[in-house]
This record gives sequence, C-alpha cells and structure tokens, in this order.
Amino acid sequence: MNGPPLEAWLALSAALFAVGLFGVLTRKNLVAILLGVELMANAANLNMVALGHFRGTPFGQAAALFSIALTVAEVVVGLAIVVLLARTHKSVDADAPSEMQG
Amino acid sequence: MMPLAIPIGVCALAVLVLAIDLVPGTGPRRGAAALAAAGLAALFVATWFVPSGVALSGAFENDAFTVYVQRIVLGAGVLAATGMIDHAERLFPRRHGEYLLLLLASTCGMTLLPGAKELITLIVAFELMGVPLYAMAALHKGTTIGNEGAVKLYVAGAVSAAITAYGLSFVIGATGETMFSVVRPGEGPMIVLGALLMLAGMAYKLGAVPFHGWVPDTYQGAPAPFVAFLSVAPKAAGLAGMARLLWEAFPRTADRWTPILLALAILSMAIGNALAIPQSNARRLLAYSGIGHMGLLLLALLMGRGSGLEAMVFYLATYVAANMGAFLVAEAVEADGGGEIAHFNGLARRNPGLGLALLLFLLSLGGIPFVAGFWGKMVLFRNAWLAGYTWFVLAGALVTVVGLFYYLRLGRAVYIEAPTNTAPVATGGAMRTAIVLAVLVTVGMGVFPTPFIEAAAAAGVAVGR
Repeated sequence: MNGPPLEAWLALSAALFAVGLFGVLTRKNLVAILLGVELMANAANLNMVALGHFRGTPFGQAAALFSIALTVAEVVVGLAIVVLLARTHKSVDADAPSEMQG
Repeated sequence: MMPLAIPIGVCALAVLVLAIDLVPGTGPRRGAAALAAAGLAALFVATWFVPSGVALSGAFENDAFTVYVQRIVLGAGVLAATGMIDHAERLFPRRHGEYLLLLLASTCGMTLLPGAKELITLIVAFELMGVPLYAMAALHKGTTIGNEGAVKLYVAGAVSAAITAYGLSFVIGATGETMFSVVRPGEGPMIVLGALLMLAGMAYKLGAVPFHGWVPDTYQGAPAPFVAFLSVAPKAAGLAGMARLLWEAFPRTADRWTPILLALAILSMAIGNALAIPQSNARRLLAYSGIGHMGLLLLALLMGRGSGLEAMVFYLATYVAANMGAFLVAEAVEADGGGEIAHFNGLARRNPGLGLALLLFLLSLGGIPFVAGFWGKMVLFRNAWLAGYTWFVLAGALVTVVGLFYYLRLGRAVYIEAPTNTAPVATGGAMRTAIVLAVLVTVGMGVFPTPFIEAAAAAGVAVGR
C-alpha cells in the first residue's frame, strides 16, 4: 500500500493529542473539555492503528476497537454529569460551581 | 476459567442485585445492600479456595499477589456496602440498587486489575474500575458540591485514560504485542515513551502530585459512603495494576522511569502532608493525608519485586482498614452536624465508642505501635533502608511526625475540646457493624501482624517472575 509514511501519521496524532490537551487545560466550558478529551482519545486510537499497520500486527487495530468502546462508555457518563450540572447550576462552566477551597 | 472465579463472582453478584432492584414495589431496599455485603464477604472467603493459574490465554493470572490485592478490595467493598445501609435512604433516595450495581461493577474491575498480564486487559479493567466511580460520585441528590466533585473526578479520569491509551499505542508500535511477557525484552525510545505515558496516566488516576488537584474537592463533595470506598479501593487496585505493568512489561527500561516515579513519590509525600496541616474540614484533611500516603506507596512500588511490593501490599492492607474506618466515623459525625473539625469536638463524650474508634484509626494512619499502621510503616521503612533509600527513610520519618501532628489535632478535638452540643451522636446498626469490623482489622493487624506480613512477602515475589 502506498500512502503517507509512518512519521506523518505519528505527527498527525501527536498534533491531535496536543490540541486536545490544550483544550482540556484552557477551556472553561465542560462540553469543550469533553471534546478535548475526545480528541486525545482519538489521537491514541489513530496512533494504535497506524503503528499496528506499519508494524504488521493486528494488535493495534484490536486495541483501538477496545479503546473506542471504552471512550464511548466514558463519554456517556460524562455527558450525563454535564446535564446534571446544567440542571443544578444553570451553567456548564467547569469552575462556575466553585464552593470549595483549600 | 477457574482462576477468574472472583471477578466472575463479583459480576454475578452485580447482576443479582440489579435483578432484585428491578422487582417492583418493595419500598426501601436494605436487603439489597445486605446481600451485596454478604456476597462480597463470601467472595472474600472464597479467595482461599480459588486455584492459582492463568486464564484468558495468559492475559490474567491468579497468584499470591492477585489474591492479596483482591482480599483488600473485597474487604473494602464489604465495609462500603455495610456502611451505606443506614445512610442510603437519606443520600440516594430510590437509588440504592443503582449505587450497589455501580459499586459491584467497579469492584469487579478492581479484582481483575491486579492479575492483568496483558495491555488491553489492563486498560479494560482500569476503565471498568473507573467509569462506575464517576457515576457514583454524581449520584448524590440535593447537593451542588457533589456535582462539582463528580466533574473533577470525571475530567481527571478521562484525561488519565486518554494518556494511558496514547502510551499503550507506542508500546504496541515498538513491540507489536500486548502480552507483558512478550513486551518485556523490548528496549528503545518508543518503549520508554510508552512506559512513561502509561505511568503518567495511571498516576493521574491515583491522585499522585502533581496530578492531585481533583482529590480534595471530590472527597469533600461526593457522598460520604462513596468517598470511604474511593479513598482506598481504587488506590489499592490501581497501584497493583501499575506494579504488574511496570515490573512485568517494562523492567528492562526501569532505570529510565524510576527517577520519574521517585520524583512523584517525594512530591506526593511532601506536598500532601504539608497541605494537610491547615485543613479545617475532616474530609479534606484525610484527602491531603491520603496524597501523603500515596507518596510512601509509590516509593514501595519503585523498589520493585520482592521487598518493595511486599511493603506496598502490606501497607495498603493496613491503610485500607484505618482510612475507611476514619471516613465511616466522619460520615456518622456529618450526618449529625457537619464535616468541619469543630463538629468533632467532644465526640468522645457524645459517643465514647465512636470517639475511641476514630482515635484508633488516626493512630493507625499516624503509625503508632499496636495498631496496624505502625507495622505498615515499619516494614516499608525497613525494606527501603535495606534497599539503600536511606535519606528517603529519614524524610519519611519526618513526615510521619508531621502526620501525627495533624491526625492528633483531630484526636484532640475528639477527646479534649468541649462539645458544643451534648446530645449523643446516633449511629445505626449497620454503620456500627462496619466500624467494628474496621477496628477489629486495625487492632488485629497491629497485635498479630506476622501472618499478614508473610502473605505479603509471598505476594511481593509473585510479580515479575
């Protein structure tokens, strides 16, 4: 198969991971934070598939399938928590509800 | 399949509890919680009869290490299920069954994690442990800080999972395999990168400094019976999973990741204990002191196979009983008034049994002789000294003194300060049972530590054979 070399895929997934991490660290809106987490998880999946392909092993794709299922389970719970927060605080900002300190 | 009997049993128990909860119209369901507690206790006993060996084509191994950690986790599960019975109606109206289902699902992941010997099994077990915990943290009705705690736990867990998966991809890329035994001979920068990313992801979940920001807020905001469980069981299982991963899959590159682990250990020990001193809320005090304990546990983890892991699992066993006990007492005091240290004033006069139990737990956490925590620290410091970490032992002794200072500040409130309200603190029968169990374990391990240490020594050499 002719296509981009492994380095290109690794660079793409590293960029995705960095963008996701940046979003998680800088965004205040919880939905945006969830999107950042999703980007990080997808960077990991892309990396697994790319590395597995160039290494000639099926384990990369197998791990990516498991990883996708795990991320879905996680995001379902995360969105439920966001809905709960929107109901109790009328806001989905991560630090709007700050009632604790120390 | 027999070596997998314990995780399968926990899973079956979860399904049974869910089925009971779905039977319509039986009012409050104390029975379901009692069933969960009894079932977990039965599985705890069953750990002595499960044959050791591998299952799932070698992806899971039941050996002395797996069994030791499973007993810790199942013991914590029994205390958590028993301790929630009296408060469930107030904290989770009409949500008992869901709470128990989540508790058991998480416990299932925790019993799988210490035996995972394959990368995909490891991350699936880690997530099976983690995802139910997010939902449990948010189950608390009627408070808003509970939701804030749940959000922080969730974001920490999700970021940790993504970083771990990203690290995993590099390990697959470097070795083309997922079994620890096949990954093991691998060397090179890609393996080191993968190992470091997986290490960072898992340390995030365990709340080691500098990934500790979520810990105090989650501990303060989430429902009390849940925090008692969260503060010990995921730590025990997560550290066990890390021990397997690092010492069975990446021992060849140990000189590259042990410095990072050592830095995390020192920072956790120093910052956790320093920040515990000014706390005025009992739960936040226990949260920061827990970060300090995590520092000592990470040191034991990095000392590795044999003496290090022996100290780690034994320390965990002593820590689980004392810390859960302290949180259970805090829960009873909170139900009565509130969670500030001032609410503990005169507890010994208002309820002598509860006051004495809390004092024993605090002494154990502080490391005073004749309660379990002393032996935990003793074994850890002895083994660290023999392994050449002399200066770490001296620093550890110093923070132990600092720890005693803030633990006894709480003890002083209980025994010396005058109560503002002289009415006795009420505790329900189930709560008393859970606290008595925790006291028995704490004092029992303090007086007869030998069998526990011997079992821990067998567990310590089981990893990385």
